Amino acid sequence: MKYDVCIVGTGAGASGVAHTLVNAGKKVLMLERGGFLKEKDFSKDEVAYCKRDIITPKMEECYHTIEDKEEGKWVKTPTYVNESSFFNGNIVGGSSNVMSGYFHRMKPDDFRLKSRYGAIEGANVEDWVMNYDELEPYYEKVERLIGVSGEVTPYKHHEPRSTKDFPYPALEEHPITKLIDKSCKTLGYVPYKTPRAILSKPKEERNNCYYSNYCGSYPCISGAKGSARASLLQPALKTGNLTIITHAFVKKLVEKKSKVTEAIYIDTQTREKHSIKATLFIVAGQAVESSRLLLNSKSKNFPNGLANNSGQVGKNLLFSAGGVGSGQIDADVMNMKDLMIEGKFVNRSLCDWYFTDEMKGGVVDFLFEHANPISKAAKQRWDGNNLVWGKELQDRIFTKFTTKKQLNFEIFNDWLPTDNCFVSVDEKYKDIYDVPVANIRIGAHKHDLEVGEFLAKKAEKVLEEMGAKEVYSSVSSYPPANLQAGGCRFGNNPKSSVLNKYCQAHEVENLFVTDGSFMPTGGSVTYTWTIYANSFRVGDYIVKHQEKWFS
Amino acid sequence: MTRRVFILAAIGAGTAWSLLPQKAKTHITVKPFKVMAAVQEVLFPKGLQAPSALEFGATNYLLMVSTHSSFMKSDLNFLTFGADLFINEVPNFFKMSPDEKEEALRDFVDDNSKGENWVSLLLFYTLEALLSDPIYAGNRNESGWTWINHHTGQPQPKIKWADPV
Repeated sequence: MKYDVCIVGTGAGASGVAHTLVNAGKKVLMLERGGFLKEKDFSKDEVAYCKRDIITPKMEECYHTIEDKEEGKWVKTPTYVNESSFFNGNIVGGSSNVMSGYFHRMKPDDFRLKSRYGAIEGANVEDWVMNYDELEPYYEKVERLIGVSGEVTPYKHHEPRSTKDFPYPALEEHPITKLIDKSCKTLGYVPYKTPRAILSKPKEERNNCYYSNYCGSYPCISGAKGSARASLLQPALKTGNLTIITHAFVKKLVEKKSKVTEAIYIDTQTREKHSIKATLFIVAGQAVESSRLLLNSKSKNFPNGLANNSGQVGKNLLFSAGGVGSGQIDADVMNMKDLMIEGKFVNRSLCDWYFTDEMKGGVVDFLFEHANPISKAAKQRWDGNNLVWGKELQDRIFTKFTTKKQLNFEIFNDWLPTDNCFVSVDEKYKDIYDVPVANIRIGAHKHDLEVGEFLAKKAEKVLEEMGAKEVYSSVSSYPPANLQAGGCRFGNNPKSSVLNKYCQAHEVENLFVTDGSFMPTGGSVTYTWTIYANSFRVGDYIVKHQEKWFS
Repeated sequence: MTRRVFILAAIGAGTAWSLLPQKAKTHITVKPFKVMAAVQEVLFPKGLQAPSALEFGATNYLLMVSTHSSFMKSDLNFLTFGADLFINEVPNFFKMSPDEKEEALRDFVDDNSKGENWVSLLLFYTLEALLSDPIYAGNRNESGWTWINHHTGQPQPKIKWADPV
């Protein structure tokens, strides 16, 4: 059978376009590397979801190499050596299943960063080839279909909205928000109410949030979290136009006469090889794996990888720059009964310095330390460099859990695109299917650290004003593995970009890439909302111009 | 028979092996787990309210999870390697008084970076046993969660390893 469309991946970037095409009557096949787990299968099992490779490939099966600078030289280290995986949520719905759903739109000037601030030496900043107004209708569509809860907070950098309010009211808040708001007011900051991709009210077959206190890193049992699976794929399956094949690792796209003709995948349970034929092919396997697939899909016409005669595939990979900080809140700061309330959200951000006169800034999100007890207790076994055990350790753990809570902040600022952050493949490092794994060079621009430090100081002031103890922050150039974009930039020039404005490969007319790979810059926010919105946009483009491929 | 003697006897006699899947049994030798059980009791002793490692099932947990395919093989190898190294250095550890055991373990950590890494890893898995869902044979009767008044997320797992197959 030949499908109309074959999509590699089932996450946010894959599912917006899939949902649109399925509803336009196209027969769509999606290939997912992992399994299909649904609400009834999930639980709040810290060991399974947070401590082991259960919903990511086992390191023995597949890994990455991380290329970092050591003593002036770039050195590749396989991820199984330091046990730090760069895979995220390999199940139907992808990493959107396990996101926290802190949702921010990009701002109009994020689409024209080079025009606003000029070039930065050592960085490859480029303006986008679309503007905010072109994406706004799709940001709004995400609010409705994925479900975004919140309350619009006016502040000076707020992006224009085509609707007044969010379709779902704000989620219930923890009492500490009152203290945050008060402290921000004293400091002259505007506390921004963080929108969340979590339903505060039921929507069709999805229930509202039940405040489990175990949200981020876990799939959602009620369907409230706006995963691609719950919000788009499960409804799309009901049309009868969508087929999902699980445990399917796509190793190669086959090209003939500058068109993709088939996708070759391995069933990871049987190790058997299969082929899928389709008219259109869409790649959305998260940025690193999408670039890897194109680089490994070599042919006579594309000796350096599919759609890569420009040499741009894998280049200008983006993560999110920034860092984390924290302060201890105890009975001296607020009453214990209120402090120990569980499950309610903090949902406060600072966006006052998203743009400054001198530089692009970013966002600070406040949140309580995750409830996961194993992670919290394990940190207590170290007192500085000293290993602590016995009664001393027990006292530390008991105090940690029963007398205080840790309020954290996370800083998000632009990860500048540079020549030292990219995906490549290397025949020396292969997975168990004999396919070269992705090498990720993780060089960061020093400007990213300067911006992160600037924001950390602003955020620390809030914690200090609140009366928090042991206020601390750490800005790092090590990339967060779950926030990936770039690698297949869109642009008007086929020599300097992989995709055109509609995320169609310049060189291969029936190939699109619809995860975060297209982004030339990432904005200072988590990517998911933008990835969803762009995926819907590309879906509309394909439907509108379908006679180009489907005659 | 005290509970301590019981659990060590159980490991020796094979009762605890009933926790393991059949195919996993051949990969494990008992002696290092006896050593680890004795060390875990020093790392996490009976407190005024805290359950001891023996009481909450620290070693039973380790036996169960370390044979599952998701457990890092390098961690299992290092745990057993460290146990062998430790008991070779302190052959009479089982017969020592609590104070002597504490001192022997501290000396082992201070004298040897491998010693510190081993105790740190064993302590990590001891805490994992204390605070993981009881489905994995640790945190017996939710004694770990009860001790620190922790309310776990709902629903709790009905199957191990989130594997519906």
